[in-house]
Amino acid sequence: MNWSKNVLSTGFIMASALVLSACGGNGDTEGASPSDEGDANAGNDENISLTFMFRGGTDERDAYDLAIAAFEDENPNVSVNVIATDPDQYATQLQASISGNDVPDVFYVGQGDVMAYVDNGILRDITEDVENIDIDLDNIWEYGIDSYRYDGDKIGEGAIYGLPKDVGPFAFGYNKTMFEEAGIELPDPDVPYTWDEFIEVGKELTAEDQWATGLNVNWSLQSFVWSNGGNFINEDLTEVTVNTPEFIEALQYFADMQNVHGLTPSVEQAQTLDTYQRWMNGELAFFPVGPWDMSTFNELDFEYDLLPWPAGKTGESATWVGSLGIAVSEATEHPEVAVELAAYLSASPDAQQQLVDANIQIPNNIEVAEEWASDTESLPNNKQEFLDIVGDYGKNLPAAKTYTSEWYDEFFINVQPVIDGDMSAEEFVENIQPRMQDLLDQSIMQHEQSKQ
Amino acid sequence: MIESQASKLKKRSSVTLKRKSKLYKNEHRFALLFILPPVIGFLLFALTPLLISFYASFTNWNGLRQMNFVGLENYRRLLSDSYFWTTLGNTFYLMIGIPIGLTLSFLLALALNRRIVGRNTFRVIYYIPVVSSLAAISILWQWAYNGDFGLVNQALAYIGIDGPNWLQNTATIKPAIIIMTVWKGLGYSMLLYLAAIQSVPRTFYEAAELDGASPLQRLTYITWPMVRPVTFFLIVTNIIGGAQMFTEINIMTPTGGPMYSSATLVWYLWQQAFNYWRMGYASAMSVVLGILIFIITALQFHMNKKSSYKLD
Repeated sequence: MNWSKNVLSTGFIMASALVLSACGGNGDTEGASPSDEGDANAGNDENISLTFMFRGGTDERDAYDLAIAAFEDENPNVSVNVIATDPDQYATQLQASISGNDVPDVFYVGQGDVMAYVDNGILRDITEDVENIDIDLDNIWEYGIDSYRYDGDKIGEGAIYGLPKDVGPFAFGYNKTMFEEAGIELPDPDVPYTWDEFIEVGKELTAEDQWATGLNVNWSLQSFVWSNGGNFINEDLTEVTVNTPEFIEALQYFADMQNVHGLTPSVEQAQTLDTYQRWMNGELAFFPVGPWDMSTFNELDFEYDLLPWPAGKTGESATWVGSLGIAVSEATEHPEVAVELAAYLSASPDAQQQLVDANIQIPNNIEVAEEWASDTESLPNNKQEFLDIVGDYGKNLPAAKTYTSEWYDEFFINVQPVIDGDMSAEEFVENIQPRMQDLLDQSIMQHEQSKQ
Repeated sequence: MIESQASKLKKRSSVTLKRKSKLYKNEHRFALLFILPPVIGFLLFALTPLLISFYASFTNWNGLRQMNFVGLENYRRLLSDSYFWTTLGNTFYLMIGIPIGLTLSFLLALALNRRIVGRNTFRVIYYIPVVSSLAAISILWQWAYNGDFGLVNQALAYIGIDGPNWLQNTATIKPAIIIMTVWKGLGYSMLLYLAAIQSVPRTFYEAAELDGASPLQRLTYITWPMVRPVTFFLIVTNIIGGAQMFTEINIMTPTGGPMYSSATLVWYLWQQAFNYWRMGYASAMSVVLGILIFIITALQFHMNKKSSYKLD
């Protein structure tokens, strides 16, 4: 009897030790969570510790380490535990910490995830907090703020649930050195090529081991569709509109660049990894340029600059702007400080400067951005194009405002035969539209369910 | 005389038996104590999640909030989800690498069992991929498969072959991934085979040699049957591992490849759970996958038992 008691109690001790050590391990990697004892009652004088979770490459991590150190210097009673993940693991890790009720105080949130996170009570409504602190919202890109407004129904209106970490205009660039060597007039920075002109110039620039361009359909098709007056989805975000004539024409034009006009490297080699390297080798005349590319592209052997995307029927250039947000957890024990940290990372001129110096993003702060763009000496000279896209004509990616992106992904999973010239654009969209519509309906239904 | 001796013996043995049994009991208790941590670990970190995901498969859980019971809805959806069948097919297709890998590693083990120069160096070289991070290896191979600048195509160019863009082509993407997984698993299987081959008693070979058995006969009638347990173990673990392939796919083809040609079931399941907020549906997929693995493994054990024999 005695024996089994001993065994049992020893068992319990070991079991609890196991559980405790599991928690301890957790605490070590995740940093102190807000629920740590003693922290809950922390007043202003006591030490506050926040957890900040984000993702990024080494450049970005270095810049953020500096920015966070500066924040801690300004707020001596605050210590920030940083959890940095690889980009491809971020979503999984964040969701795991949400399921485990251990949400970081401040963390990155993708544009497309705002609805789901708000509906499920994970993001804090920071509209009022933001007003109380020293941050001038009017001086941040409207696009950046609006991406994180949500009224329970639609993105873009209502309360603020996040501040932009960055705004990412997807601009179009050209190899200036190649133009000059070929003796072709440089593109006008303000007037886009028409589609016909683009083909013409492209043909002049295509030669042995040299092509006009090589575009990845996943990221570049949008520009052609929009500038031709088409879209993936209607205004109300209820109907998939890929089967309109404008859309079909744009998709066909996109595929024909390769299959009819020979403006791009051959079919098998047209994927982005290779065209990206061809561009960097100076073999392509035109290529998309995002702010995150600047650090790499500025080191190349040729000069490049930005131009508006070629314009279809509407005559207006179009492209998309991406964004990643910084949000505050609904469950945080220190909302004021957490919002301050989010605002600091998003908008403080010092923090912005660090990120801009690393050449990985354009400033969130409009004034700083305009000053940055006024420097037309450094590459790319036409930085203004980035600002025009963000401030003026850039749009959300089509799935950024729907509950899930499944309907949109369906298009790109299956589009390859059109790009390879094995199927006509018309046949493809007739086939894919009903399937996309079905998935969009499901997305709307999921949204309804999550609001309950 | 004899009787008394026998009774003495009986007595003694009953005494030792008694003593043994007490010791046995005590040791049994201690043993239980030592078994407890892994058992608790299993209950907490394996069985509980298993049961939760089994329950979740009957709900419309989005992974963020409460679960609502929806009955067999998720399973019904599975039947009509063409991507589920595509990815399930891909998963099994990629297992073609298992017999290839086992054959190669067995041959390698035979080679490295001989006294050749630099044998230890070779063993280390073949084992390096096993201890390297899968993510790093995937990135490495992604570069190697690059259509223009990749190591693979450059090597092919030397012998006059214009290699394809491996990971962008529906015809080459699966072979490309199979080659990589074979390469990655080679060292581990080889090591197990090597150990098994070396533990075959030399007397068998000597006897066979005396009877005039050729080297090939010695291989097929002694070595191969003697390493059967290792082959069985490798097939079972490789199939279980292969059914769960994820990291390589997610890194080398983040969108599941052109036309979903490299998407595995676990990758699709992850996509549904974490990108499309369908944790319940993803759970249903994992339950089906779990049952499939269970059936396959049970079948293998059954077949192994039927054809197993002993060398007496």
